[in-house]
Amino acid sequence: MSVVLSSGEVRERYESGLAALRREFEYSGNGVAVVSGRTALVDDVVLTCYTQLLTKEIAPPNCVSIVALGGYGRGSLLPHSDVDLLFLFPDAKHEAAYKDSLSQVYLDLWDLKIRASATARTVDECGKLDPENPEFTVSLLDSRFLIGDRELFDEVRNRVLPNLIRKSGTALMNLVCESARTRHAKYANTIYHLEPQVKEGPGGLRDYNLANWLALAKSFRASGLWPAPESLFEFPLRAELNSAFDFLVSVRCFLHYRNGRDDNQLSWEAQDAAAETGIGAPSLSILPAQWMREYFRNARTIHGACLQLANEQMRTPSSLLEKLRGIQHRAAGAKTDPAFPAILQLQNAPSSNTTLAIFQRMASEPLQLSVDAQRHLRASASQFPCASHECLWPQLSPILVGRHAGSALRAMRDSGYLHAIIPEFKLIDALVIRDYFHRYTVDEHSILTIDILHTLRNSESEWGQRFAEILDELDKPEVLYLALLLHDVGKGMEGGDHVVGSLSIGKEVLLRLNLDLQEQVTVLFLIRSHLEMSACMRRDIFDSNVIAALAAKVETPEQLKMLTLLTYADISSVNPEAMTEWKAETLWHLYALTANFLNRHVDDSIVHGALDSEARGKFNSFPADLARKMEPFLEGLPHRYLKIYSPEQIVQHFELFSKLQESGVELSLLPHRDLYELTIVSGDKPGLFATIAGALSASGMEIVKANAFSNSRATAVDCFYFKDRFRTLDLNASEHERLKEKIAQLLRGERSLDELIRSRSGFLRSARPKVQIETRVLLENESSTHSTLLEVVAQDRPGLLYQIAQSLAQLSCNIEIALIDTEGEMALDVFYLRAAGHKLSGDIQDRLRDELLKKLGAE
Amino acid sequence: MGMTKIEAVIQPSKLEPVKEALLEIGVEGMTIIEVRGHGRQKGHTEIYRGREYTVDLLPKIKLELVLSDALVDRAVQTIISVTRTGRIGDGKIFLSRIDEAIRIRNEERGVSAL
Repeated sequence: MSVVLSSGEVRERYESGLAALRREFEYSGNGVAVVSGRTALVDDVVLTCYTQLLTKEIAPPNCVSIVALGGYGRGSLLPHSDVDLLFLFPDAKHEAAYKDSLSQVYLDLWDLKIRASATARTVDECGKLDPENPEFTVSLLDSRFLIGDRELFDEVRNRVLPNLIRKSGTALMNLVCESARTRHAKYANTIYHLEPQVKEGPGGLRDYNLANWLALAKSFRASGLWPAPESLFEFPLRAELNSAFDFLVSVRCFLHYRNGRDDNQLSWEAQDAAAETGIGAPSLSILPAQWMREYFRNARTIHGACLQLANEQMRTPSSLLEKLRGIQHRAAGAKTDPAFPAILQLQNAPSSNTTLAIFQRMASEPLQLSVDAQRHLRASASQFPCASHECLWPQLSPILVGRHAGSALRAMRDSGYLHAIIPEFKLIDALVIRDYFHRYTVDEHSILTIDILHTLRNSESEWGQRFAEILDELDKPEVLYLALLLHDVGKGMEGGDHVVGSLSIGKEVLLRLNLDLQEQVTVLFLIRSHLEMSACMRRDIFDSNVIAALAAKVETPEQLKMLTLLTYADISSVNPEAMTEWKAETLWHLYALTANFLNRHVDDSIVHGALDSEARGKFNSFPADLARKMEPFLEGLPHRYLKIYSPEQIVQHFELFSKLQESGVELSLLPHRDLYELTIVSGDKPGLFATIAGALSASGMEIVKANAFSNSRATAVDCFYFKDRFRTLDLNASEHERLKEKIAQLLRGERSLDELIRSRSGFLRSARPKVQIETRVLLENESSTHSTLLEVVAQDRPGLLYQIAQSLAQLSCNIEIALIDTEGEMALDVFYLRAAGHKLSGDIQDRLRDELLKKLGAE
Repeated sequence: MGMTKIEAVIQPSKLEPVKEALLEIGVEGMTIIEVRGHGRQKGHTEIYRGREYTVDLLPKIKLELVLSDALVDRAVQTIISVTRTGRIGDGKIFLSRIDEAIRIRNEERGVSAL
C-alpha cells in the first residue's frame, strides 16, 4: 500500500519537476542545477512521505532520524543516480520496533522509479569501523539530515563520527585509498582513455569525492573540527577543482539523459554529441577533439589532486591497514610491498636550467609532482628556451632510460615541457583516434610503450623475460625510447599514412635535438618499420623467404633487437589484452629466426663494384669523391660491415688501410663510454685473430665484442671492444701506445705471444661464475654459401676468445668473418671458417668440435 | 532455413585473404581465435644461442562462422581455394548444425539474426 502516492500529488510534483530540470539542461547544459534540483525533488518526496507516516500514526515522532548519504547527502543527485538513505535509530529496540513501518518510505521511492537503497543503523553502530565495509563510514562524511529526530543526527555528527575519525581515521582513509588504487589499476592508472568512464575512471567524479574526503579527514585530524566545504582546498586549487567538478557533473548529466540510465561511459558517439552542444565547454559547438582535450584537462586536475592526497595518506601507515595489506600481498604472491611515490613540492616556478633536472629525478625514482608544483611548471613551460635545443638530447636521454620514464614524461606532457621540447607532440596531445582495438589516446599510448619496456624486467611471463634479456643487451636504449615516443606522431596529421607523417616529423625533431647521424638513421628506421614485424606475424614465420625478407629490412642484429622490442611495446600498449601469449610467442620465434638468419648469412651479401645510392648516401657529409676512392677498400667486405659501422668509423678504417703499405699493420685505440675500441687493419694472415685476442687477454683486457671482416684484397679489418679490467689504460695514458706497439710487434713477428702469455698468466685466472653456462658448439655447412659456420656458446672468462681462435689456427681454419658477443656471463661467438679456400671437411669439423669441447668444457 | 557452423583452422598467413574472399561472397561476420595446434604437420626446431627450441604446437588461426545453409557450400569452397597450398599444414574445416541464433541487441532469432 502506498502512503504518499495515493493522491498522485507528489508523483506529479516530482515528475513535472524532473521534466523541468531536463528542459533547463537541454537549454543551458548546466549539470550543477540539475543535481541540486533533483536532490530538492527527492527531499520533497522523502519529507512528504515521512510526514504522512506520522499523520497516519504508522510511526511515532522522534523514533528515527532519516539521513541522506553519498551523492544524495552531498546534494548532487544525477538524473539516474541511486538514492542512499540511512534510518538512524537511538538503539536496537527502536530499530526492531519501527524498521518495517519505515520501509514504506523506501518502497514509495521505488514506486516513483527512484532507485533507493536504505540502511538501518543505531547511533552506536555508526561509531564502529568495519574494515569489510569502509564505504558506509565514508558515506557518513557526506551525511545530511532530512527529517525526524535531529538530536540523533547531531549525536552522530558531533560526537560519534569525530571519535571514530580520531581513533581510526587513518585506517579508514587508507582503506579507501587502497580501494581507489584497485579501481585506478582497472583503468590502467590513466585518465587518457579513448572512451573514458566519467564516474569510476581515474580523474572521474569518484576521484573528486575521494579528494574531498581525504582533505576533510586531514583538516579534521589537524583541528578537531569539521571544516567548511569551501575551506577544504586553498586557492587556486579550489577554483580549479570546482570548475572541473562543474564540467564533469554536466557531462554525467548529459550521459544520463542520453542513455536513459546510470551509464557513465563517454563513448565516441556521446563525445560527438556533447561537443556539438558544447556541454560544459565555454563556447557552443566545438570539434570533438577540442572538447575531449577540455575533458582531459578537467579530469587531470581532479586526478592530480586525488593522487597527491592519496599518496600523502598512504605514506602514513596504520596498523590495521598494514596488517590487511600484508595479508593481501602474501595471498597474491607479491615479493615486495607496493611503493607509494613521494610528493615533490616546488615553492615557485623553477628556472629553465633546473627543470629538466627535476624530470630526470622523476625518471630515476618514484616521485609525484604536487598540484602546486604542476602549476608552477605549467607557468614556466612557455618560457622554456627553445634555442637550446641542440644540447637537449643529452638531457632528454637520461629521462628516457630512467626506470620511471613514463611518470616523468607524463609530468612533462601535462606541464607543457614535452611540447616545448618537441612541439610536434602537440599534434597527438590527448588525441582520440577512433580505433576499435585501441584503448588510450595517441600520446598516452606512445608513453605507455616506454612504460611497457621499463617494466619488462619485472615480467613474470616466460616471453616477457626473454624480451627483457634483449633489452638489457642494447647499446643505446635511449634511441629506441625516442623512436617509441615519436612513432605515432603522424597520427596527428590530417589524412594519409601516419608512418609517412611520423617520419617527416621525426626527421625534423632529430635534427633539432642534434642526435648523431647513426642515431638519427636508427630512429628513422624504427619509425619507418614499426609495423613490419606485426605484418610478418600474419605471414608464415617458418617460411625462410619471410625471414630473409625481414632480415634484409632490419639489416643488423642491433636494429632487429630494437624493432622486436618496439613491436612488443607497441602491441602491448594498444590495450591490456592485446599482447596475447600467442602473439608474444610468435614474435619471439620471429625474432630468434631472424637473428639466426642475420648471423648465419653474413657472407651471402658482399660489396662488389660501385656502391649503391643508399650506401653512398652514408658518406654525404664527406668530400664528394671519398666514396669512390674507398671502393677498392670496401670491395669484398660483407654488406653487414657497412651497416654496423658509422660512416666516421669506416672512413677511419679506410685511412688506416691507406697507410698499410708502409707499415704492414695499422692500429687505432679509442676509449668509449665503458669500453675501449681497438681497430686493426692488416694483411690477413694465419693466426691473426688469435694473436690479437691472446695479446689483449694477456694484457688483462676482457673482450666483450669483436667483429672481424676481410676484403677481396685479403685485408683484415678487426675491431675488438674490451673492458680494462685492471684500469691499466684508464690510469696510464702512456699505456695506450705501449699496448698498440706490443700488438703491432706480435703481428709483425717481432715478439712471441707464448712468451707474453707465460709472463702474464695471472691475468687469465677467472673469478667464480655466478651463472653456469653449458658449452655448446654448432658446426654446419648449410647456412653460408662459402663458409662453414661455427657457433660457440660458453661461459665467458678471461682468454676464452684466444683459446677458441688458437684451436682454429692449429687446425688451419681461416676466419673469414667473426662476430663476437657477450651477454652477461655468456659468450656468443660466431665464426665463418674456410680451410684451403673451401668449407671445412667433415673430418676437420669433428676434430674442431672435439677440441673445443675438450678445451672449453674442461674449465 | 537451417544454419551451419563452420570452424576452419588455417595458417595465420591466410587470415587476411580468407577474410577478403568471404566478404566478396557476402559473409561479413566471423569470430577469429588465435590458437596453437598440430596435425600431421611436424613442428620446427630452432637453435638460438646454442639452446634448442622446439615448436611442437604451431601458431594457427581458427575461424568460426555461422551461416544459413544456402551459403555454406560457397563459403567452404572459398576457404579451401584460398588456403590450399597442397602442403601438410594447410588446415581443416569442420561443419556442424546450429539449432538457434539470437541477436542479443533485439532478440531477433534464426537466420535473420546472423
